[in-house]
Amino acid sequence: MGRDTIAGLVILVVSLALLGLTFEIHSNPLVPVSPAFYPRLVLGSTAFLSFLMIVFDVAARRRAPPAAAPAKARPAKPRYDMVAVMFAIFTVYVVLLPYLGFRIATVAFLAVMQYAMARPRTRRAWIVLALVASIATAVTYYMFEGYLQVLLPRGRWTDF
Amino acid sequence: MFDLLGAALVNIVHVKYLLPLFLGTLAGVIGGALPGVTVTMTIIVALPFTFGLDPLQGLAAMAGLYVGGSAGGLVTAVLLGIPGTPSTVATTFDGYPMGRNGEPGRALWLGIWGSFFGGMLGGVFLIFTTKPLAEFALAFGPWEYFSLFVLALSMVAGLVETSLVKALVSGFIGLIVTVLGNDPMLGAPRLTLGIPFLEGGIPFLPVLIGVFAFAQIMSEVEKSGGAGAMTQPANSDANLKVSQLKVIWEILSRPFLLVWSAIIGVWIGVLPAIGGSAANIMSYDQAKKFSKHPEKFGTGIPEGIIASEAGNNANVGGSLVTIMAFGIPGDAVTAVMLGAMTIHGIQPGPLFISQHPQIAYGIFAAYIVAHPIMVLILGVGARWAMRIMTITKSTLFPIVLVLCVIGAFALDNSMDTVYVLLVFGVIGYLMVKAGFPLAPFILGAILGDQIEINLIRSIMTDPNPWLFVTRPISGLLLLAAVLSVVFSLWQHKRTQRRLAAAATPPSDEDIIDF
Repeated sequence: MGRDTIAGLVILVVSLALLGLTFEIHSNPLVPVSPAFYPRLVLGSTAFLSFLMIVFDVAARRRAPPAAAPAKARPAKPRYDMVAVMFAIFTVYVVLLPYLGFRIATVAFLAVMQYAMARPRTRRAWIVLALVASIATAVTYYMFEGYLQVLLPRGRWTDF
Repeated sequence: MFDLLGAALVNIVHVKYLLPLFLGTLAGVIGGALPGVTVTMTIIVALPFTFGLDPLQGLAAMAGLYVGGSAGGLVTAVLLGIPGTPSTVATTFDGYPMGRNGEPGRALWLGIWGSFFGGMLGGVFLIFTTKPLAEFALAFGPWEYFSLFVLALSMVAGLVETSLVKALVSGFIGLIVTVLGNDPMLGAPRLTLGIPFLEGGIPFLPVLIGVFAFAQIMSEVEKSGGAGAMTQPANSDANLKVSQLKVIWEILSRPFLLVWSAIIGVWIGVLPAIGGSAANIMSYDQAKKFSKHPEKFGTGIPEGIIASEAGNNANVGGSLVTIMAFGIPGDAVTAVMLGAMTIHGIQPGPLFISQHPQIAYGIFAAYIVAHPIMVLILGVGARWAMRIMTITKSTLFPIVLVLCVIGAFALDNSMDTVYVLLVFGVIGYLMVKAGFPLAPFILGAILGDQIEINLIRSIMTDPNPWLFVTRPISGLLLLAAVLSVVFSLWQHKRTQRRLAAAATPPSDEDIIDF
C-alpha cells in the first residue's frame, strides 16, 4: 500500500465513524435545519474525497511500471528516532506541567530537550545547558507573570 | 481617510506603540534572518507576549514583525547564499553572486531598499483598497459570504503545489475540526466525543500553533537530529559600506520593475494562503521575462534583488487587505493576527474598519512606520544579525516549544488548550509526512464556523438552494471557485504530461496524481 492509500484509509475510517455519530445528534423540531446537517455534509465530503485519494493512488501505482530506479544521490536518512524522542519528551512535559508547575517542569524540559538534541561533551557545554534551561525559564516566568499578567501553571504536587 | 491616517501616524509614534512596533520589527528581522525559522514561527512565538498589551500595541508589534520578517531573510540570502526564510529564496539568485563579486554592501542595501519601496507600494494598496473592498463586502448576504469562503478554500486547495484531492482533503480535515463541539448557531450539543472541553469547540489558535510549530521544528529535527548551528559563522569582515543615494537611485531608476514586482507581490498577498515565497519567486521570474538581458540573471545583477525583495514585501500589504476587508487570512501570519484580534474581542471583516477605525488605521500606520524601522534595524544590525546565526537549534527549538505552550495556555489559563496544541502538533507533523499541504487545513479550521453559520443562515432565510447560484455576486464567486479548481486540474495534467515527456521512470514519491 502506498502512502496516500494508508492516509486515505485512516481519514476515510475516521470520517465515517464521525458520520455515524452524527445520527445520534438530536434535532430541534422548532429549527428547520438540524445541527447534524453541516457535519454530515463535511464528513460525507471528506469520506468521498479520501476514497478518491485511495482510488487515484492505486490507479497511479498501476500505471507506473515497476522499473529500477536510476542510481541517484540519496539524501541523508531522516532522523525519525529523534522526532519520536522529541514528541515523547514534549508529551511528558505537558502531562507533568500541572503537577510540577511551570518553573520546575520547564527547567527540566529545557535541560532534557537540549541534552537529547545535542549531548554535551564538555564541561562548558554542560554549564551552557544548565544556564540556558534556568535563565530561559526565569526570563519567561518573570516576563509573563510580572509584566504581561499571564498566570502560568502552579504545581499540584509542588505548589510552586 | 487622510485625517484618520494622519492621527494614527501621530499616535503610533508615541512610545507606548512605538516600542512594541520596534520590538516586533526587531524580532521579525531576527526570526527572518535565522534559517529554519520562518515568519510564521516567529509570530507564533511572539503571540503570547501580546496578550497583556492593548489591542493596537499587540497588532502594531505583529505588523512590525511581519514587515521585519519578510525582509530579514535577505541578510543571510545575500551574505551567505542561504535564504533566511522561504520568501527570500529568489533573493539569493543574484544577491549572493553580487556579494561574492565583491559588492556585499550594494547587494544588501539593494535588498533593504527594494523591500522598503516594495513594502510602501503594498502599503498604498492596503490603505486605498481596504475600505472600498470592506464597503463592497457590506452588501454581502449569507449566500455571498458562504460562496466567498468556498472560493477561498478552493483557491488555496488549487494553488498549492500538490495533489488537488489531497489539498481538498486537507481543507476538509480543517472543517472537521470546527464541527466537533456544540453547533455555532444554537449551541446544540454534537460530536463532543464525551469530552466536556469539546462542548465549546476547538479553539483554532492552539491548532494553528501546534500544526505550524511542530511541523517545522520536527522537520528540522529530522534533518540533523536537531544539533548544530543555524548556519556557518559568517564572514564578518565583509565590507557593507555603500552610497545610499546611489543604491536608492539604482532602484528608483527602474520604476517599471519596482511597480510590477510590487503588483505581483500584492496580488499574491490578496490570494489566500500562498505567501511571500511565491511572491518572491514570481516577481523574480517576471523581472527575468521582461528583461532585455535575461541571461545575466543569476550572475549578480540589481534587477534580480530589487524584484524579489519588492515582491515579497509588497505581499504583506496584500495579505493585510484580505484579513481587514473580508476577515480571511491571506497567509499563516495573518491567521495568527486574526487569532490575536479575536482574543482582544475584535472580529476582522467588513465591519472592522468602520467599527474600529482607530485600530484599523493604527495597523496602517504601524505598517508604514515599520518600514523605516526595518531599514534602520537591518542597516545597523546586519553584521550583528550574522553573529546571532551561530545559535544552535538545540538551544532555540526547546525555548520555542515552551513559548508555544505559554501561548496556548494563556488563551484561557487552561491545560486543555495545551493538550490541543500537543494533539494538533502530532496531527500536523503526520499530515506533512503524508504530503498534505497545511494551508488548506488551517483555512478550513479558521473559516469552518463562518461557513456553517452563513450556510445555515441562508437556508433558514430561504430554503431555495438555487439562490447561491442566481444571486449575482454569489454566483460569480462560485463560478470563480469552479474555475479555480478547473485551472488547478489543468495545471496538474500539464505537469503530468511534462513528467511523462521527461521519460524518467517515476519513483515511489514522484507519482503525481490529481
